[in-house]
Amino acid sequence: MFAKPVDLAGAAVFVALMAALPLLFPSNYLIGVLTVSVLYGIWAVTWDFMSGLTGRENFGHALFIGVGAYTAGFMNTTFGLNGWWSLPASMVVAIVFALLIGVPTLRLKGPYFALAMLSGSVIMQRLMLIFWEQTGGEEGLNGLTPLIRSQIGFYYFALAALAGITALLLALSRSHFGLILRAIRGDEATCQAAGINVTFYKIASLAISGAFAGAGGAMYAHYQLQVSPQLFAVVTSITIITMVYVGGMASIYGPVGGAILLVLLTELLRNFGEWRLMIYSCALILILFFLPGGLVAPAWRRLRAALAERRTARSVPASRERSA
Amino acid sequence: MKPESPERSVISRLATGASLAAACAALALPAATASAQSGPIRIGVPTAMQLQVGRDTQDGIKMAIEDINAKGGVLGRKLEMVVADETENPETGISAIKKLTADEKVDVLIGGYTSGVTLAQLPHISAAKTIYLNVGSASPATNAKVKTDYDNYKYIFRVGPLNAALQARQMTGFISTFVKGELGLSKIAIVGENAKWVQDLVPLLKKGATEAGADVRAVEFFDAQTSDFSPLFSKVKDSGAQYMVVVLSHASSDIFAKQWHDSRFPMAYGGIDVKSMDGDFCDRIGGKAVGELAANFAVRAPLTPKTVPFFDEFKKRTNRQPVYTAFGANDAVYIYAEAVTRAKTTNPEAVIKELEKTSYVGIPGTIEFDENHDVKPGSATYKGPALLFAQWRDGCKREVIVPKTMRTADFVYPSWIKQ
Amino acid sequence: MLEILIVGAVSSAIYAMLAVGFTLIFGVARVLNLAHGSFYALGAYGTYVLTSHLKLPLLAAALLSVAIVAAFGVLIERVFIRPMRKSQLAVLMITLAVALVVEQALFLTFGSEYRNVPAFIDAKFTIGGVNIAGARLLALGVGVVVIGALWLFIQRTRYGSAILAISQDPQAAQYMGIPSDRIFSVVMALSAGLAALAGILAGPFLTVQPTMWLLPIVKAFAIVVVGGLGSIPGSILAALMLGYAETIVGYTVSTSWTEIVSVLATLLMLMLRPAGIFGRRAAF
Repeated sequence: MFAKPVDLAGAAVFVALMAALPLLFPSNYLIGVLTVSVLYGIWAVTWDFMSGLTGRENFGHALFIGVGAYTAGFMNTTFGLNGWWSLPASMVVAIVFALLIGVPTLRLKGPYFALAMLSGSVIMQRLMLIFWEQTGGEEGLNGLTPLIRSQIGFYYFALAALAGITALLLALSRSHFGLILRAIRGDEATCQAAGINVTFYKIASLAISGAFAGAGGAMYAHYQLQVSPQLFAVVTSITIITMVYVGGMASIYGPVGGAILLVLLTELLRNFGEWRLMIYSCALILILFFLPGGLVAPAWRRLRAALAERRTARSVPASRERSA
Repeated sequence: MKPESPERSVISRLATGASLAAACAALALPAATASAQSGPIRIGVPTAMQLQVGRDTQDGIKMAIEDINAKGGVLGRKLEMVVADETENPETGISAIKKLTADEKVDVLIGGYTSGVTLAQLPHISAAKTIYLNVGSASPATNAKVKTDYDNYKYIFRVGPLNAALQARQMTGFISTFVKGELGLSKIAIVGENAKWVQDLVPLLKKGATEAGADVRAVEFFDAQTSDFSPLFSKVKDSGAQYMVVVLSHASSDIFAKQWHDSRFPMAYGGIDVKSMDGDFCDRIGGKAVGELAANFAVRAPLTPKTVPFFDEFKKRTNRQPVYTAFGANDAVYIYAEAVTRAKTTNPEAVIKELEKTSYVGIPGTIEFDENHDVKPGSATYKGPALLFAQWRDGCKREVIVPKTMRTADFVYPSWIKQ
Repeated sequence: MLEILIVGAVSSAIYAMLAVGFTLIFGVARVLNLAHGSFYALGAYGTYVLTSHLKLPLLAAALLSVAIVAAFGVLIERVFIRPMRKSQLAVLMITLAVALVVEQALFLTFGSEYRNVPAFIDAKFTIGGVNIAGARLLALGVGVVVIGALWLFIQRTRYGSAILAISQDPQAAQYMGIPSDRIFSVVMALSAGLAALAGILAGPFLTVQPTMWLLPIVKAFAIVVVGGLGSIPGSILAALMLGYAETIVGYTVSTSWTEIVSVLATLLMLMLRPAGIFGRRAAF
């Protein structure tokens, strides 16, 4: 259908591996790191779906994350609602914000659109600090209730969400919808001339991207059990873009690997104490310099090609035998 | 691009899987195998490693550990320190707690700095059922749940600093007895950074000051990232105030002092200025802080028998003056050690009972905990920690001005202010 | 009122020095250099090191610092930016990583505390009843002079014409025999030197700590886009607008609102006039 059997096999192996890891190495710390990396994975995949396909780099993805997280925070602490309501609510709020900021700015290109989205996320961060009486200022909202009490239970839920969202967005990206998005990246004017409602497609992709990012934000809030303005920060948006870059732009599945890799790297480097962030930044430079196409997606494509080679190599001798 | 041979693709797949598994093993397998009642007692230190407060927390703990180990350790076991960087970001803070409790399996946590991070860490500390001795954050909210949700939050203690509400009360005393009482200045302006603990503290301060007879002419908040204070100074000057009371923690106190000095601002200032507690604060801005009155939890004076020896030993080891987290960190180790000795076990439930009975003569004063496990402030009858107000003088020396009982020199106005 | 005028002018001058360099390198090389803020930081720290550790006189330290940072800028361009120029996002990412490395290097070397960059003029001046620090007036004066000199350089010299030619039409310029690679290096050096100078002038009264690169680069980015990418007059005008907007809001309302006002203004500008004030390069 939309995926070759080898892709499905690869995905299945990946999910199985991720699910097996906490069972092989039981540790709340590992589960915590993996959960956070899975959530970042959701954010990275949603970014790639919109920005990777349309070529409109969104420097304010943190806007949707923060909005989803704060929605969850308010609903849970101020209104005392059950955490599960946060998920659909955060998606709705994120869509609203996507429309609010997307409609006026999506006609912009390149650095202009990037800056507009960045401004949006910075404004929200500032507002959270200015209205500190309602939002808790830089201390944020604390005391959220967890969605699933068991650490490993929530991890599996998050993993399932990641798999589901990635599958959905992959399917969309390979469908007619995705084709148009890629065409928009190629030449928007031609698309418009061909009668395609380019604005609708751009806004729709931003809304979809934002909705799932917001859901991820709500999940994050109910996992960390707190929400703070740091979620809206420029640093958050840029971290996600870096993860997509390392994973492989426009591949949709690559960013998952990028997110997990970078979160793991940040944690593994803890043993280096004060040098942690320095080594991380240097590693980043090396990756960006020597692997401009990313790490994960190209590696998978090479692996896939190698597997296909092996299949052809195996089938050839058999036919030669028959003909001999 | 040459296609990979079949053997190599299998190998590369195995290699990727193996390295991912190895990475996870490195994260998951505990860094040290410490059994429950033998082997070293491990102290986890979540702190902002790149900041001065973080460095001094670690040094304060190291000093205490070496001292205790030299005397035979605790219950015959040596003490050991494990540090995890919590930065000022709640996300990193939470993962630091998880690393220390789930991976390093520490027996106690000593650390903390930013209130927002500590608040975020609380549920995770509680879930890990590990004792946490706070040495850096001042928000009263960190200890609020101890009484209301004792079973879950009994693990939380604050050894220092005095919480923000208590600091507000001490500041009110400073304003009424010193600024109004001695200097005779009744018109004041209150200036604070946009941090939540300050926003909670300032209304209390304003109310207390007004009740004490002061005339609060202006209350201004500014963003912690502000680097240009000219608008702020302008507003304060126009308000007709005679003295500027400040509440600064994460803000750019260095720039504030520099700009105050450079513009020859026509009023003296003083109050809570955490960065001004640094021993080299005045030096590193070219002496421009001379004249500022800043609150300190301890200075090199015999507040208790331990104060002066601690300052001297710290200076000898690190060639720095300690900041406030060093006092709390150092005291916390001894307090924990004594509680464990009395409880005869490191089991948290038993140790908590003993911690609650703590009465330890520490560096800023006698440390005892109230029903919220929060350090009790000093009073006329109780020698607990209290805020001392010290003024920077020529040559970047500090003299204690308030309280009068500890005064080492008389207050002097900045050179350009005619009084 | 007069105070707002002067303080606003000083802010604008610093912003203008940052923005002009940023827009110059974009106009010529179509490169968004996120390490630009690092040049600002390194200028300030360089002067600090040269004066406090090597005990050089202030003027010598400042000039040496500018030269070193300019050379560092050329190095960054050669090693990191040139191979990646095909993709704007790639350049963005790698310059960001360079900025992070510089920040960490500063943290590890100097610690997190503020460092003291001495001021050229320590005295206080009174203009029309307004107290203003000498260092601020100097920043304003030098900023105006240097940007003016840069403008003359671009308008009147051969190198300047080459720069204009490349920014208008890179291919045509290459056919005309203009050595674009050498021009890139020159522009990078100018851009980095300008940012370093801003850091040295602002250091005495603004912040000098390892994270000082982030806020200026976000502001420079906004100014450059609002002014029109690649347009120097646009950047100057936008810098003035931003500097004054922040100062006016700071004095009249509260400093908590300055950031949000400038960001909101940027967003509105993008929605209403996307190409910027003098933007030639199409925004859509």
